[in-house]
Amino acid sequence: MSAFGAMVWNGFREARRNRVTVVVGAFAAVVLLSSTLVTEVTVATFDRVLTDFGLGMMSLILVFLTIFLSSGLLSREIERRTIFLVVSKPVSRTQFLLARLAGNMLTLAVLMVAMMLIFVSQLLLFQAEVNSVQFIAAAGLWFELLVLTSAGILFSSFAGPAVSAIATTGIYFAGHLANDLFDIARRLDDGAVKSFATALYYMLPNLERMNFRPQATYALPVDAATFLSGMGYGLGWAALFTAAAIFIFERRDFR
Amino acid sequence: MTAISPDAPPIQVRGLSKTYKVGFWFNRTVRALQGLDLEVGPGQIYGLLGPNGAGKSTTIKILMNLVRPSGGTALLFGQPVDRAATRRLVGFLPENPAPYEYLTGREFVTLAGQLCGMSGHELDVRVKEVLGAVEMGAAEKLQIRRYSKGMVQRVALAQALVARPKMLILDEPTSGLDPVGRRQMRDLILAERDRGTTVLFCSHIIPDVEALCDRLAVLVGGRLVREGSVRELLSAQVPTVELVVEGLKMDQVKNLGVALESSQSLDGRVLLQVSDSDSQRLLSQVLAAGGRVNSLQAAKFSLEQLFMDALKDSGRTTSVGGEINT
Repeated sequence: MSAFGAMVWNGFREARRNRVTVVVGAFAAVVLLSSTLVTEVTVATFDRVLTDFGLGMMSLILVFLTIFLSSGLLSREIERRTIFLVVSKPVSRTQFLLARLAGNMLTLAVLMVAMMLIFVSQLLLFQAEVNSVQFIAAAGLWFELLVLTSAGILFSSFAGPAVSAIATTGIYFAGHLANDLFDIARRLDDGAVKSFATALYYMLPNLERMNFRPQATYALPVDAATFLSGMGYGLGWAALFTAAAIFIFERRDFR
Repeated sequence: MTAISPDAPPIQVRGLSKTYKVGFWFNRTVRALQGLDLEVGPGQIYGLLGPNGAGKSTTIKILMNLVRPSGGTALLFGQPVDRAATRRLVGFLPENPAPYEYLTGREFVTLAGQLCGMSGHELDVRVKEVLGAVEMGAAEKLQIRRYSKGMVQRVALAQALVARPKMLILDEPTSGLDPVGRRQMRDLILAERDRGTTVLFCSHIIPDVEALCDRLAVLVGGRLVREGSVRELLSAQVPTVELVVEGLKMDQVKNLGVALESSQSLDGRVLLQVSDSDSQRLLSQVLAAGGRVNSLQAAKFSLEQLFMDALKDSGRTTSVGGEINT
């Protein structure tokens, strides 16, 4: 295994042996399985509620886990001084940071696949419709988690875990409200405030561009161009956050 | 880019300085290193000695690319320290090492080997070998969070040795070890030197430095104040003689007109230290004044004395280092 592969695998192993990940994973399984109870209150929209609830819970739980894991990816290593024994080996700091990012995304991907398996099994069990948009929504969620992870790593490159977690949570909420911000900016009369609100919109990642959960709930088609542009947009923001994190991390002193 | 030269000195440091910016607004500075020059030759055990805040750990962290220097150059085997490939030749044991606690000892040493480009059967064999050398074979399958401090130190040494480095950099390697562990660590360092490995280590424990080092640098306040082979440094000390005198009080001894290196009252006796050249004169003066000489012996040269002299010469009265500017 290469040095990079070893670091990625170690990141995955760390998350797997972390009690929080295990507890959250088990909680997600229980919640997804209990989603059938919600359908008891539905009359004619059984499929829709099952999909909406399942994908919504996956999103919430994975976003929580992403914020928890990514906000400490670098800062905890620096605080605990575990980083001394890694970056003193023949690996660059950039390699280390990218490996931590990749390890985190691998953990989230494995959890997401496990959750999707439970989710699809339920749909099949209740003879509800399984369609491609549900998988597109899951893929979109993974790219959203990639943006949040890279934001968490950026904050973690210069701040402690608590500050990083708060800032990443802020990015999550602001990112989902970005469309509303843009709408408000368009309707404003005051030129300065309008410019400020528009600038703010462009300075924050619009996470709604990777959110295909409403289309999955209502079984609406998602065309390839929309999906690909959303993924490209997510990758662009992740690359930007990661590049900024590398810039800071390469210059830091580990005292 | 030039290739790593195994013939180049393992460590070359020229005019190295480091200033940390501290405080909420980073408006205060701490000068941890000031124009340090060092060269460590191949196969040497080189000791860095100094009080807290002298700049020993900062020097080591710059060499391991953990801290960026503010000025000067630091080379490992002729290459800049920020070149990752150079670190393949170096094994590093930091002060109070913190390996990943969720890994077992074996997993951690394996990871260290993988980071150095090792893999497969060669790595498996080597991991077993180094864990055996540090006597951690029996605990290799335990998670590190269950290890004692001494066990963590041993497994951290194993990760430093796994890739057969040409140089070991050890920051306080014997701290946290019991006497048996300290002895084993010293034996391991000597065995590595016999294998041709260069060793740079810093320690507060003067007997360890005295027992192990071929050469030595004493740092105080970020500056080099003594450097040389241990023999040279000790022979440069002024030879002194210790006398224990009875029948005279301290005031009377001080009025004999002989310059004393040190003096101390002990239960009616007076313990005196005087330069070798003045010892005969002091002896005859004491006898003439009616005193008795209980014992007379040449004082043993020690690194501790050298260290204290270096501290005194640099104008420091405490061991707290680092120059703070507000």
